[in-house]
Amino acid sequence: MPREIAQLVLNGLMAGTILAVPAIGFTAIYAVLRFPNFAIASHLTIGAFAGWLANVSLGLPAALAVGVAFAAAGVAGVVSDELILKPLRPAGALTTAIAAVALTLVLENVIRFVFGNDLRGYALPIRRDWQVAGLRIAPQQVQNFGLAVVAMAAVFLFLAFTRTGKAMRAVADNPTLASVKGIDTDRVARLTTFVAMGLAGVGGMLVGLDTSIDPLTGFRVILSVFAAAVVGGLGSIPGAVVGALTIGIGEELSLLVLAPAYRTVVGFAAILFVLTLRPRGILGERAY
Amino acid sequence: MAQRLSRRAFLELGAVSLAVAGVPAVARGQGGVIRLGTLTPLTGNGGNYGPSMLKAMQWVAGEINAAGGVRGRKIQLVSEDDQTNPEAGVRAARKLIDLDKVAAIMGTWASAVTTAVAPLCWESRTFLTTVSGSDTITLLPHQGYLVRTQPNTQLQGKKFAEFMVAQGSKRVAILAVQAPFALPTQKVVGEELKKRGSELVAAVVYDKDKTTYRSEIDQVLKDKPDMIYLNGYTADVTVVLKDLYKAGYTGARIAQAYAVNQKLLSALPPEVTEGTWTIAPSPSIESPAYKRLAQALGNDDLDPYSCQTHDHISLVALAIAHAKGEATGTGIRDHVRKISQGGGARVDSAAEGLRLLAQGREINFDGASGPCDFNEIGDILDTKFRYEQAEKGRFKLLKIG
Repeated sequence: MPREIAQLVLNGLMAGTILAVPAIGFTAIYAVLRFPNFAIASHLTIGAFAGWLANVSLGLPAALAVGVAFAAAGVAGVVSDELILKPLRPAGALTTAIAAVALTLVLENVIRFVFGNDLRGYALPIRRDWQVAGLRIAPQQVQNFGLAVVAMAAVFLFLAFTRTGKAMRAVADNPTLASVKGIDTDRVARLTTFVAMGLAGVGGMLVGLDTSIDPLTGFRVILSVFAAAVVGGLGSIPGAVVGALTIGIGEELSLLVLAPAYRTVVGFAAILFVLTLRPRGILGERAY
Repeated sequence: MAQRLSRRAFLELGAVSLAVAGVPAVARGQGGVIRLGTLTPLTGNGGNYGPSMLKAMQWVAGEINAAGGVRGRKIQLVSEDDQTNPEAGVRAARKLIDLDKVAAIMGTWASAVTTAVAPLCWESRTFLTTVSGSDTITLLPHQGYLVRTQPNTQLQGKKFAEFMVAQGSKRVAILAVQAPFALPTQKVVGEELKKRGSELVAAVVYDKDKTTYRSEIDQVLKDKPDMIYLNGYTADVTVVLKDLYKAGYTGARIAQAYAVNQKLLSALPPEVTEGTWTIAPSPSIESPAYKRLAQALGNDDLDPYSCQTHDHISLVALAIAHAKGEATGTGIRDHVRKISQGGGARVDSAAEGLRLLAQGREINFDGASGPCDFNEIGDILDTKFRYEQAEKGRFKLLKIG
């Protein structure tokens, strides 16, 4: 039994780390732009397909293809935000969130139109798991874990030490004050969208590396991403990481008492639980 | 602001009333046409099959119309996408029934979609033809407004159990996706294995939208199976196969051919899929109907569903003709068995059948999918199965029988 629990926690840790990457993106957009951008689902998929093209057509190794996934999803995010969501923002967060849902369906179908419905796998060798102290772990999982940690570390360093990162935090903290201080809030909004959607793209590709991709890749994980952000505290970036790990490990541990078919309930239950008892989330709302 | 809103509201109202006013006019204008609905999964998990299923029906409709239609009336297909999603399927079916007033809806694929759409059909007396396999479907109180060309879970489960035991398997585990067929299949496979001296040692039903199934696989492997039956759809079985390989499982794997198909074999490295068996209801590949359809669709290796939908529209058109042109769900219900089975002249194309019916002769339609004979609740009586095995990323045919 202890070994079984350890294996479940390990599986959950791996799943949670990958989940954390798009969850950071989701929460960052919420922190700066103040609306839940559900379009992140299709940007996960865009990143996954861009990374797939780079990996399979151009022959780039996964670690470099992740960069392509980041750039493609980031650019797509900025373009769709400028054209569709930005003009709607004055109408309120709810309107923008609904538009984001519509946008994500449109983008998903654009991908379907271009690539079709077929499943695609990355050009990666599949290796048997390593057995360590009676626990099993896949080499690919370790690589994905590493990539996710690098991406998250880059975001934290960027926010903590660069001028632009500080500007982003300032806007998230108090947009009016930031703008009085001479920060170009429009530019910060664009940059946030770029980085956040780029992270979503990286998340999509990391999900795809271990599985396979199709136009529904992002849609499958968006609920868990949303749950992670809410549980950790919408708007808090460390919160998104804590939330993602909580959801990831929680979903796995639920298997001890629940049939696997009900695993998804963990995400929903976590949202209800947190909103009821601690609406600000585990870490509370702080941009950084 | 208020003015802009009210203008917009006015426009919306205007558009809606125009649309409503327009419907009967359109319907009246095409009174001579027989409208039939197609509801296939053009997107979602069934998206690999829906487009080809639709093409098969469009081709048959074209053939019928080119030969002069059904008793002089052309067939008009109205096509909708069920997105492999019950909710979207219901919306599309509502549109087909209420707005397009189709006599039949043809081609629903996922059992969950068919289960959701069926009540709308029998309540509105619209005929439904489906390729879904779940037992529960024909047990619904459909009053005869439903037939299916896919063998049910009982028949399929028995074939799977027979085959697994024939391969020497003593300990079978099932990994199934959460779907209406999951538990009935588990039950029948368990019973059939027991009868043959083998055993079902583990069964796990999983959620289809997960990105990894490592923990589910651990649960199943605990019981040391020598054969795992992967009863899911392509997207999730892809992940399960990968995870099984990574977990170091070297025993046998078997799956439905709709899940482990050529696209899956191409998407995965061959060592992951090597040796996986598939079983599928086989189309009648020696039949002239199959050969003509294969040529028309430019594909030598037709999937069973496209063959089945070819037969759906043929059966519906022939039943309408047999009902003396009564293009209603009730007409089709009352006549479909009179053209699909019995002692009439054997025909394998709708156009040929229509010609014979016009001469006042009785017919028995055998299609591209098989004999198309139905029992009283709408299940097919007989079909062939096709057994294949993955070898270096391609399928090797073992037998059809």
